[in-house]
Amino acid sequence: MSTERQVLSGTGATPRAGVGTVVWYDPETELPDLPADGVDEAAERERFEAARETAEAELERERERTAERVGEAEAAVFDAHVQFVNDPTIADAVEAAIDDGLPAPNAVHEAFADHIEQFEGMDGRMAERADDLRDVRDRLVRILTDGDRVDLAALPEGAVVLAERLTPSDTAQLNPERVAGFATATGGRTSHAAIFARSLALPAVVGVGDALLDVPDDADVLVDGDAGELVVNPTDEEREAARTEETAEVRPDPISTADGKAIEVAANVGQHAEVEPAVERGADGIGLYRTEFLFLDRESPPDEDEQFETIVEALDAFPEGRVVVRTLDVGGDKGVPYLDLPEEENPFLGERGIRRSLGPDADLFETQLRALLRAAAAGDGDLAVMFPLVATVEELAAALERVDEVAADLEAEGVDYARPELGVMIETPSAAFVADEFAERVDFLSIGTNDLAQYVMAAARENDRVADLHDPLHPGVLRAIHHTVQAGHEGDAWVGMCGEMAGDPEVTELLVGLGLDELSMSAVTIPDVKANVETTDTDAAADLAADARAADTRTKVLDRIHRS
Amino acid sequence: MSTERTVTVVPEDGLHARPAAAFVEAANEHDADVEVGTPDGDLVAAGSMIAVTSLGVAEGDDVRLVADGDDADAALDALAAILTTPEDELDA
Repeated sequence: MSTERQVLSGTGATPRAGVGTVVWYDPETELPDLPADGVDEAAERERFEAARETAEAELERERERTAERVGEAEAAVFDAHVQFVNDPTIADAVEAAIDDGLPAPNAVHEAFADHIEQFEGMDGRMAERADDLRDVRDRLVRILTDGDRVDLAALPEGAVVLAERLTPSDTAQLNPERVAGFATATGGRTSHAAIFARSLALPAVVGVGDALLDVPDDADVLVDGDAGELVVNPTDEEREAARTEETAEVRPDPISTADGKAIEVAANVGQHAEVEPAVERGADGIGLYRTEFLFLDRESPPDEDEQFETIVEALDAFPEGRVVVRTLDVGGDKGVPYLDLPEEENPFLGERGIRRSLGPDADLFETQLRALLRAAAAGDGDLAVMFPLVATVEELAAALERVDEVAADLEAEGVDYARPELGVMIETPSAAFVADEFAERVDFLSIGTNDLAQYVMAAARENDRVADLHDPLHPGVLRAIHHTVQAGHEGDAWVGMCGEMAGDPEVTELLVGLGLDELSMSAVTIPDVKANVETTDTDAAADLAADARAADTRTKVLDRIHRS
Repeated sequence: MSTERTVTVVPEDGLHARPAAAFVEAANEHDADVEVGTPDGDLVAAGSMIAVTSLGVAEGDDVRLVADGDDADAALDALAAILTTPEDELDA
């Protein structure tokens, strides 16, 4: 076996790393050869009946485990599987195939074939049913052949599961206390496997492609969900770094620093399915609710009621908390087919964020504001609305005017509405410089460190050649953050941070020291950040932040952080 | 003598996953023979998960329920209730 280090790229599902030994998982079970002297039809029918009962019992157990670990909504998939197992159409087809001389497992395989093909040919939700059917078929065949499928619930400590694909029931079997992570050849960030991985805080990389299939059983690998990479034969340093990652216990209640300053710790949500995991990982609320997902993968924009209902659901999930919804942020690298975005020389410096909402997407903006103001009155939690990529006071004034107009319309129509808190996302250098002007006009500011670092450093986020420059720990970015926080507080606005930086447990003390009131991140790192806030002393943190700001290089900033 | 009813579907995912499972389960709990379909389409067995999900019924669609048997009315009541209950209010 080669021991050469090799890096395979995919999509990171969870911002976590894990290291371990490969266990290949292949749910397909080989079918037995047809017996030469025919089958005993009555006996095969009985075997099939018994297999259905076993499958149902397995599914009940897996349902319970999933409800407990991942969530009730995700567990519902098993109710559907039970009904597929007991489907009379399938039972009739299986019995007919047995009567035609097939042993039970072969009969099951054949009975599902047409239905799987039929669902595969359809789009969206229906194609997911094909996955469900394959999952149910493989379960029945495995039971009937006493298949030696790898028992995902009983993997050795430190196993890294590799598979072409993992179904929801597969993923829910994985015990995050024992398994070090998984990687799949197929799937994207929003696939079931990826969403389950985030809920379980399990390191995972999906969509690695066919290159994954060449990774041998028993190889040593590092699953780097942060970078979206699977490293075969990682270096000793990489192993050590992954091993020392620790996870803190979930703290469901709001927390404060060691000396009593309350810090809100919230979740970034980019998919409706991420709301529940955020609750389960102890988020106080949602600090960045990206509405783009409502607009993607469809032919036309969502209507007012659809947006209203989705936002109300998010608000109801945090009855005591706050949900910060960002209005539609497209343009730059984020395309939507039916919005007809222009081809631009420098898309990141072009028509994106609020620029589109005040320009070509004015109608969409109005519809979204109507949905938001209505949701503010209907949902349990407190709604806050923030505008992306605001660069000037004029843009903010225009956006606030739109809110007033929509409120007046709803009032005239006699529709229930409420005014949410309003805020600006600080992403451009100009926004950071005039943060005091913004703070006088809104309730809050939220710093988007990914874009702020990109614009302050003039280094594109996706460009590997300048990746070193794109780092929020450069003193230039830290000073922009500090200036924003100070200006926000002078204007009586609370100031949050919703970029990747907020979720890095290594810099929690620095962020508290910079004076942030709220930190919002991927749900996975919420327990770690909450644990770090609780041990932070605000005076020591302020000293650390002052030293970091005063540093002249990024290296000195890092040295200072590691010293504390 | 069969009875029938047309119902507008409320759960946001239509007849998929959990609502479909609850629907099929309820259909099989009754003695009546129940069929389901779109208002002007073919009817399929309400007790078959494959048949029910392959209808591709979405939120806001109308579906036609036809029941035949002793407890036909009770079956229709139960199925209509599932179709008009938002997903998050379905009993787990």
